[in-house]
Amino acid sequence: MIVAASPTAAPAAVPADLADRDPQLLRRIYEYMVLTRAVEDRMVAMYKGGDLLGSLYTGHWHEGISVGAASTIGPDDYMAPIHRDLGAHLWRGMEPWAVMASFMGKATSTTGGRDGTLHYGRLDLGIYNLPSHIPANFPVATGMAFAAKYRGQDRVCLAFCGDGSTSRADFHESLTLASVMDLPNVFVIENNQFAYSTPIALQSKSTVFADKAKGYGIPGVTVDGTDVLAVHDAVAQAVARARAGEGPSIVEAVTMRMHGHAEHDPADYVPKAMFEEWAAKDPVELFEKRLLAAGLVDDDAVKKVRDDARQAAIAARKKALADPMPDPSNIEEGVYAD
Amino acid sequence: MPTDLAPDIINADAGPKDTGQATYLDAISLALDHEMQRDPDVFIIGEDVGQFGGAFKVTKGFLDRYGPRRIVDTPIAETGFTGLAAGAALVGLRPVVEFQFADFISCAFDPIVNVLARHHWRTGDPMPVTMRAPFGGRLRAGPTHSQSVESYFAHVPGLKIVMPGTPEDAAGLLISSIRDNNPVLFLENKYLYRRLRASGPISLEPIPLGKAKVVREGRDVSLVTYSAGVHQAVELAEELAKDGISVEVVDVRTLVPLDVETIVDSVRKTSRAVVLHEAATRMGYGAEIAAVIQQEAFWHLDHPVVRIGAKNTPTPTSPPLEDAVIPQPAEIAETVRKVARA
Repeated sequence: MIVAASPTAAPAAVPADLADRDPQLLRRIYEYMVLTRAVEDRMVAMYKGGDLLGSLYTGHWHEGISVGAASTIGPDDYMAPIHRDLGAHLWRGMEPWAVMASFMGKATSTTGGRDGTLHYGRLDLGIYNLPSHIPANFPVATGMAFAAKYRGQDRVCLAFCGDGSTSRADFHESLTLASVMDLPNVFVIENNQFAYSTPIALQSKSTVFADKAKGYGIPGVTVDGTDVLAVHDAVAQAVARARAGEGPSIVEAVTMRMHGHAEHDPADYVPKAMFEEWAAKDPVELFEKRLLAAGLVDDDAVKKVRDDARQAAIAARKKALADPMPDPSNIEEGVYAD
Repeated sequence: MPTDLAPDIINADAGPKDTGQATYLDAISLALDHEMQRDPDVFIIGEDVGQFGGAFKVTKGFLDRYGPRRIVDTPIAETGFTGLAAGAALVGLRPVVEFQFADFISCAFDPIVNVLARHHWRTGDPMPVTMRAPFGGRLRAGPTHSQSVESYFAHVPGLKIVMPGTPEDAAGLLISSIRDNNPVLFLENKYLYRRLRASGPISLEPIPLGKAKVVREGRDVSLVTYSAGVHQAVELAEELAKDGISVEVVDVRTLVPLDVETIVDSVRKTSRAVVLHEAATRMGYGAEIAAVIQQEAFWHLDHPVVRIGAKNTPTPTSPPLEDAVIPQPAEIAETVRKVARA
């Protein structure tokens, strides 16, 4: 294909929507989105190749939400992400091989193979390692925020859940507690149209999930979850509010779950047209195009970011594959803390 | 944020005082107050624990003494505030959760079992959460206000379960529970709250978890029990002594961890064992105790281990019905007498 003019050939002035932003932050966000995609694509291949123990939960088309939200808070803040949020883990320093090791039950995983798959959060990175009962991470997130407030610390806790989670008691009770107690929480609802096979219309009579905020007397906003900066800005505003002691907010980020619930799931219950429509809204590509258009990256930089991410994923797989399996001899230790 | 924090103690004169004859309930208040005073990371959270002082008034005066930062009234949200406690504990606080009635703990089954209990084993992070819950019958409170819940949770690895039977133990064991780095279920028999009194000042020294206590020595039969069973067993032992039957009463005190040694030593001495609790016999904790005894002391036994517990029905409300379900003194006496003489 011949294009009349490459956007990078003659860099225009940075468009207004990017002009007042930190270009380094923008490039970092882009790099982590690309890395997230590369690691997950590699893991899909690993799943298909039989490297992994069970299924694989990915966050294709969630990269803008996980990285966009995680990039609003600092290292002293807390986070309670879910299985679509690899980007948030990576942003805070989680290494790709450790995520793979978790899906392989390796001794080197963050739980030493005791837990596995998506349960790899690290408290030393300020990340709660959640159980499978999502959003069981929500009440825990209120507790982390409570502790910050209790001690007068300038810390917030960012919690994530899906559209399906909003039906559960944990969601309602957490929002109730956080709002009544003015806790420094931000609750991100990743509306990806399906909870396993259940479409949002069967999940909730009101499919604008941010509207639930009204019932708790807190702000709620819906943003395009494929637009990383829209997510970043909405979450940053909610974080600022939480830091100011004004209490929690809901940010609903709308996207599409482009894979099955997990890789074993062909998602044949999703209308084909829906996949086709959303395919044009790849958050990684969309952001890449914006940065290219603004001249904040050029073709070489894009190629390097993509190559580096691919190489990082390949190296991570190599290490995770070579890592040892756990030793069962101490399995009864550590049921109780000293 | 950060904001100016309220002081850890607002009014030093408010709060519980030891009268020298503290009830079981007073002893719990004194222990809570002691730990709140000692450690600014300890806070109390639950329904109506503040202004109202708790449904049973265990935290009466605490709001005045410590203020709303540390005495936290919540909406009716057991799942929420139990999970909140987990999150607070993960980042260094020591929450004490009050369930208004142990019956309502079912609403928090998920955070207790899936969040609190298995977190340390999964990750190595400590999880110091104490959960207090008034349980048990004999108050004519009916099927959903009288339950004994220990067996639901005794099956879950990672939880400790403490069930004191005296004011002194209630205080010392609660202090240890709060200082423990694990989730502890501290079950208070609400029938005892105002019925048992200490005979002197309450010691606020911690009593280690996992140590049973022979509360009365005897030769003929070991009566192994906990919580409200302890005072019943002691009274019964005194009564049977008149008939020349010597009953040894073993107070298990903590179900998890279980002090197998003290129980087994007693049975090896007496060669007979009766296990008593208020919970239903079927799948009750007595089944575990009986199994441990037969495994560790089988060749010392002169009689099968006998369990006494409630009938396998919900707890009824009306007095004649409830009394027919929960083991009564006469029935317990008859069983122990039979085993001792068989």
